[in-house]
Amino acid sequence: MRRGLFVIGACAIAFAAADSTPAQEEVYLKVTSPGLSRVMIAMAEFPSRQGADPGAASTLLATLRKDLDDTAVVGLISPENARLVVVDPNNPNLMRQRWRSVGAQFLLDGSIAGAGNQLVLEVRLWDLTSGEVAYSRRFQGTVNLATTMAHSLANELVHLFTGKPGPFLSRIAFVSDRSGNKELWVMRWDGSEPQQLTSHRSIALSPAWSPDGQLLAFTSFLRGSPQLFIFRPKEGYLKALSSLPGVNSSPNFSPDGKLVAFAAGEGGETDIFVVPAEGGSPVRVTHTRGISTQPAWSPSGRQIVFTSSVGGSPQLYVMDAEGTNVRRLTFEDKYADEASWAPDGVKIAYTTLVDDRFQIATLDLRNNTRTLIPGPGNNESPCWSPDGTVLAFVSNRTGAKQIFITDQIGRPRQITTEGNNIQPAWVALVQ
Amino acid sequence: MSGLWNNKLLVFALFVAVAFGPACAHRKAVVAPEPQAGAETEKPAPQPAEGGTTTVSPEPSISAAENPESAIRAGELPANLEEINKAGYLKDVFFDTDKADLRPDARDLLAADAIWLKNHSSVKFLLEGHCDERNTEEYNLALGWRRANAVKSYLASLGVGADSISTISYGEEKPFATCHNESCWSQNRRAHFVVTAR
Repeated sequence: MRRGLFVIGACAIAFAAADSTPAQEEVYLKVTSPGLSRVMIAMAEFPSRQGADPGAASTLLATLRKDLDDTAVVGLISPENARLVVVDPNNPNLMRQRWRSVGAQFLLDGSIAGAGNQLVLEVRLWDLTSGEVAYSRRFQGTVNLATTMAHSLANELVHLFTGKPGPFLSRIAFVSDRSGNKELWVMRWDGSEPQQLTSHRSIALSPAWSPDGQLLAFTSFLRGSPQLFIFRPKEGYLKALSSLPGVNSSPNFSPDGKLVAFAAGEGGETDIFVVPAEGGSPVRVTHTRGISTQPAWSPSGRQIVFTSSVGGSPQLYVMDAEGTNVRRLTFEDKYADEASWAPDGVKIAYTTLVDDRFQIATLDLRNNTRTLIPGPGNNESPCWSPDGTVLAFVSNRTGAKQIFITDQIGRPRQITTEGNNIQPAWVALVQ
Repeated sequence: MSGLWNNKLLVFALFVAVAFGPACAHRKAVVAPEPQAGAETEKPAPQPAEGGTTTVSPEPSISAAENPESAIRAGELPANLEEINKAGYLKDVFFDTDKADLRPDARDLLAADAIWLKNHSSVKFLLEGHCDERNTEEYNLALGWRRANAVKSYLASLGVGADSISTISYGEEKPFATCHNESCWSQNRRAHFVVTAR
């Protein structure tokens, strides 16, 4: 994969020559800073489609267009404006000027070809300022992978501009009662293609992905008392992971996928336990009075944030993964619960209470700065996107509990509508 | 089945419905608000709901239905667990917001529950901890677990055999009342008895 070498610049893009050696160190244009506008890309019509299945080719382009339109970092030149550009293949300088005159900074061009059920996509991203190729890539697959190819390309383009892959192949697991019972479901990151994973007609709660997207840990009342289960959606494989006394709730995988932290306990107590994801004896890691629940590992795997009521109200605490060095994190909140540690390790999103309504807040661990992300209704269960740029959360602002995603420039979008939908868990890629 | 028998069954069903109805604390019923802390002499007065749906067991004890006190003395219980649970011999107790401490009114109710349980020492039962909807789902699961076990400990301290008591938390997953204000929330912060063996 060849990538352009970009140097950070707010308005003017300082640009070094496009490099064709794959081993080149990658420096990316930062466009995620607040207030910065999107990178505007013009998408050509890909007129060359030799031998390509026409349906698959148009699906691919439509999917790519939709994905790029959905991001906070990339904007597409509208088709109306793109049509104003008169193509002149013999004069690339003039072409660049014409594209720039409709607002484009980059041009995505390429070809689609195919034979039989094979589809080949070749793309180049031209920097319209320098005239260099900033990125080029060839994708090949069967026609039924047309959307996956489009999502992969969109992911790489977002990666080029942010240093982080886009969300387009990511999935959100959640709990929905739309079938009449709380079951596990999964959908694409934008809410499309919802799929029911369990039909237990019991109560399913708190899904958590393994980092590789192969496994879901969750709580179920399937056998009467709440127990912790491991579920492999691809095969429908289900096994009990913990049937300790107590709630067996809120599982969370360690970043290496080897351990699962969860909450359970005897005699009314609830503490944090850790159990090998492959099964084994749970080890208790908190020894507080009252309720300790909702563990979430730090991205380094060295720490666990959790909710404890030991000081009266529920507040966030952090400890070393072995249970040592417990310290309180939240002091400004009447209530703090449902911590989700951002992939960069710097921020923790959580649910707080403001004027008797749940609201999402983030805590910046570098300077202990709390930022409220207020919204209408009750807002809870924040969950970071795999790239850490976007939050999913649950809100009842439109009536029933629904899952929303928001980006950090404050654009919330409802992605579920049917029934109540809660407890989103986001993973980069389902294997 | 003869018409005569059908009629008898119908009359009997109606009788049972009337007799059992008022005692039913049906789980979906929106009952009167529970007593406030400090109102020690007040008893909750669950109102009937769906009394007509009562099913007829083969040999229900009519005297027990008419007068639970006599049933306590006689040690007679309906043969059917569903009937026992509908009769409401054991009174649910209620909690303050975000608390698992037993209020004075709860202690009074549990004292009566304990007497009944000691008079029916073969009875085994499940204590369900329930919560209102105002915490997160997972915190409520833990809170309901505390509530169920707080009741278990208190009953054990009053001499009820701990091995006859199971506990479970449903958190906010099985609300008794479904509106979104205190009149329902106060009903949902509860420990609920379910007799599992007679």
